[in-house]
Amino acid sequence: MNHNKIMIVDDNEYVRASVEIICQSVQLDITCAAGGEECLSHLESGFRGVILMDIMMPEMDGWDTIREIVGRGLYDGNIIVMLTGMGEPDAKMDGVQEYVTDYMTKPFGPDQLIESLQYYLTLLNVTSGAHA
Amino acid sequence: MLKRNLVVIGVSTGGPFTLKELFGELPPMNAAFVIVLHITQQMDYRIARGLDAAASMPVALAVDGEHLRGGNIYLAPGGFHLKLDGNQRVVLCEGERVNYVQPSVDVTMQSLTRPLGGSLIGIVLTGMGKDGAEGIRHIKKVGGVTIAQDQKSSTIYGMPKAAAQTGAVDFVLPPKKIAAKLIELLG
Repeated sequence: MNHNKIMIVDDNEYVRASVEIICQSVQLDITCAAGGEECLSHLESGFRGVILMDIMMPEMDGWDTIREIVGRGLYDGNIIVMLTGMGEPDAKMDGVQEYVTDYMTKPFGPDQLIESLQYYLTLLNVTSGAHA
Repeated sequence: MLKRNLVVIGVSTGGPFTLKELFGELPPMNAAFVIVLHITQQMDYRIARGLDAAASMPVALAVDGEHLRGGNIYLAPGGFHLKLDGNQRVVLCEGERVNYVQPSVDVTMQSLTRPLGGSLIGIVLTGMGKDGAEGIRHIKKVGGVTIAQDQKSSTIYGMPKAAAQTGAVDFVLPPKKIAAKLIELLG
């Protein structure tokens, strides 16, 4: 399966819209989710790709969403990048480090975002038979 | 006889890009590089492949029982701790998570012994938490050289900060300068 999909999970509609515009500018297939439950629902429906995950969200925050993704067996085939305005993560990240590949601090530049997304999509397109 | 140089690198969040930057600066070297990145089995081979494309030395997942060879980069696979027997033979072990992670940087670094010949270098790069701090303290104790990434260049200044706070770190540098330091130390 060729991976070229991005999902932005953020309760702030302006952040979602910014990421959507940036992704569309380079023809990346973007899916938006306003919270953890919506993210899980996209994953249950078959989404696989790079997930940009906000940490501070009402109801289910980014860390709890990741725990749920792993608990439901939906992690494989995705790369998770935390997207946050916070300077440093809190203790809630303990135990999910292995599932968080990168961490981008808002505000971020379009070039930086595109470079990261394209690199991670490249990694997702490596097949398990193609060991280095 | 060739010197047997060993560089062990601990890294977590922000690791793939940081490793790409570091190894993109390094020519083939007379040292074995072992990277312990907090990673899952679903991702380890992808990261190895991505780094292999950026590095001048070949990158592969470490295999249980194999002997390290100079000029090669080994990535610890997800789901196991990696120890080095005699600073040279890979031992993959199951067991409890350490510092909430598996592989743990501390487990690998604390398995190292005083080098009989050649250099031993320990590096802690960007990442959440404090894994690697005790390992760095140990490497310093057995006569190795220790390096931590600086705050400005770290995606998350957790692990390098904890390492630096042990007082056992010789150099605090950004990735490009870590590469230059490695060339100086191993050249």
